[in-house]
Amino acid sequence: MTTATAEIAAPAARRWSAALRPAEWQLVLPLALAYAAFFLVPLVLLILVSFFDDEKITTMGGAQWTKFLGDRFTWKVIADTLKLGVFTVAATSLIGVPVALVYLGASARWQGVILFVVILPLLTSVVVRTFAWIVILGREGVINQTVLWLGLSPAPLRLLQTEHGLVIALTQIEMPLLLLPLLSVMSRMDPNLRDASSALGASKWRTLFRVTLPLSLPGLVAGCMLVFASSTTAFISQFVIGGNRLVYLPLLIWQQSLVVYNWPLASAAALTLLVSVGLGVAAIAAVGRRGHAWALH
Amino acid sequence: MTHGQVTRRQFLAGTTVAVGALALGRPAHAKGSVTAAMYPGTWEEAFRMHVAPALKSAHDVDLEMTPLFAVDQIAKAQAARGAPPFDAFVLDPGPRVTGIDRGLYEKFDAKRLTNLGRLSAGMTDEWGVTIAAQVVGIGYNPKKLPKPKAWTDLLKDPWVSRLGMTGFQTTYGTVSIIEIAKQYGGSETNVEPFFTEIKKVLSKVAAIGAPASMPALFQQGQCDITYTNTQTVATLRGRGVDIEFVKPESGAVSFYTTMHVAKGSKEIENAYKYFDTVISAPVQTALMQPPNNFIPVNREVKLARDLPMQSLDEMAKFVHHDWAKINPLRAGWIERFNKEVAK
Repeated sequence: MTTATAEIAAPAARRWSAALRPAEWQLVLPLALAYAAFFLVPLVLLILVSFFDDEKITTMGGAQWTKFLGDRFTWKVIADTLKLGVFTVAATSLIGVPVALVYLGASARWQGVILFVVILPLLTSVVVRTFAWIVILGREGVINQTVLWLGLSPAPLRLLQTEHGLVIALTQIEMPLLLLPLLSVMSRMDPNLRDASSALGASKWRTLFRVTLPLSLPGLVAGCMLVFASSTTAFISQFVIGGNRLVYLPLLIWQQSLVVYNWPLASAAALTLLVSVGLGVAAIAAVGRRGHAWALH
Repeated sequence: MTHGQVTRRQFLAGTTVAVGALALGRPAHAKGSVTAAMYPGTWEEAFRMHVAPALKSAHDVDLEMTPLFAVDQIAKAQAARGAPPFDAFVLDPGPRVTGIDRGLYEKFDAKRLTNLGRLSAGMTDEWGVTIAAQVVGIGYNPKKLPKPKAWTDLLKDPWVSRLGMTGFQTTYGTVSIIEIAKQYGGSETNVEPFFTEIKKVLSKVAAIGAPASMPALFQQGQCDITYTNTQTVATLRGRGVDIEFVKPESGAVSFYTTMHVAKGSKEIENAYKYFDTVISAPVQTALMQPPNNFIPVNREVKLARDLPMQSLDEMAKFVHHDWAKINPLRAGWIERFNKEVAK
């Protein structure tokens, strides 16, 4: 080996040995083992169980998958579940982005207040929040009493157990998941960029659409992905506020696993939910990348 | 190694021993404890208030409870495969039969219960002991609706437009739908007439909800009539909700809540002491009082006035169902219900 090659090879070898120094990879080991034991193994088991034909898990086969995916009702439920996610993402974004802009323009003290209000829903249990929505959306609830008092409708509106009622509730329940990543990205944004835009003659709206929003897009996309994944899988809210007439995948999983104990079918439904939500999240990420590329142009 | 200094290894070893000792060290019990699965809510509170102290004073056994609905207990025990997370089940008839099918219980020896003679005949079998009864009928708001007479009234005006219902996920929901189906020519194994009838009025039904949300929906006026059990009616009335219980003309439905020893339990002896305490007259009397509102099974208990029967012998007159026949059909009914009611 010549001196020259040795000089080139030495730093690479140092980097290599540094990357694999036992002390460091050992640090990752507990998390990696926990991840393998509590996520990968159960996932493999879930896949295995879905390929059993009978409820007592004795005969292997694809009967449950054929039954589940061969049923037109399943596809309607998948579509409804994804649709619920899209509506919730749209509603949270529509309300969340203006809130984030207010946050951006507020003084440090008010930013603290806004942040506290944003986090507030996370401080109560999802069960409590969900049951509170029954009181708000119910026939004799706050919204209906106001509507009747103002004379906007002769009879109470039907809000509970409807898709729009559920989207309203989920919008509040999931809002922190959208706002936290969005606010974190926005607060790191260099204020000079917006000042420069104004100084160069751009109107407030132009600055908003050409500078502020494109730069906050990564936060918005992250928030949308969280809201989508969370709202499509929010069993308690879906079932308690939506009732039995709105059927989503989590309800099917619960019925099959805990009421009739057909774990193979429940596994098939759970994997279907995992894949469809995964695709939805991937789609949001793809749209986000496109949007980002377009905005930078 | 130097004196007076602790190496990293010593520190780690010491910490492990200390944490391990904390984890292993449990409070000392004279006669040990029993871990019982328990329905969350009213049941758990009532058992904490009345059963736990009675078990402690009678047998010096501590009662630890794991709040789980009947279906969840079966699922957990099945997933645990012989290493049950609790010693005693408390179950409704449907899950009870599933548990027998799947071999989740130890064989039961009724002679080990000192209170056995105080129960009616048939309250114990080779799998467990009956500890309470439930009576299912119609609950309605008398300030908003006229009194219904029959199960069929639920699907007629003016009641149907204020009806709140659940599907086949719960025991009370399943038996009520079976009874509605029977009035239209169906049977315990044929609920087809119910589906035919419900389709005609589906758009009018006020609420089809999650079982756990039904009391809240009634309380909030989302629905004013529903099928339910006497315990829920009594609990809601205790909270000031306008609700009355009606026995339908064709008879109210009754079913029993049973307790079982989990297969592989290490505390079988204490589980029997726990069951014996639950069926003892003083505990059954306490459980019958508001806000618990249990229906007792011990014949020595003087029945409260607002129970739907004067004596426990009347229980035989109520409608009973054979869950060994119902269970195999339930999955199909649940699927069917989803499809029929889904928007």
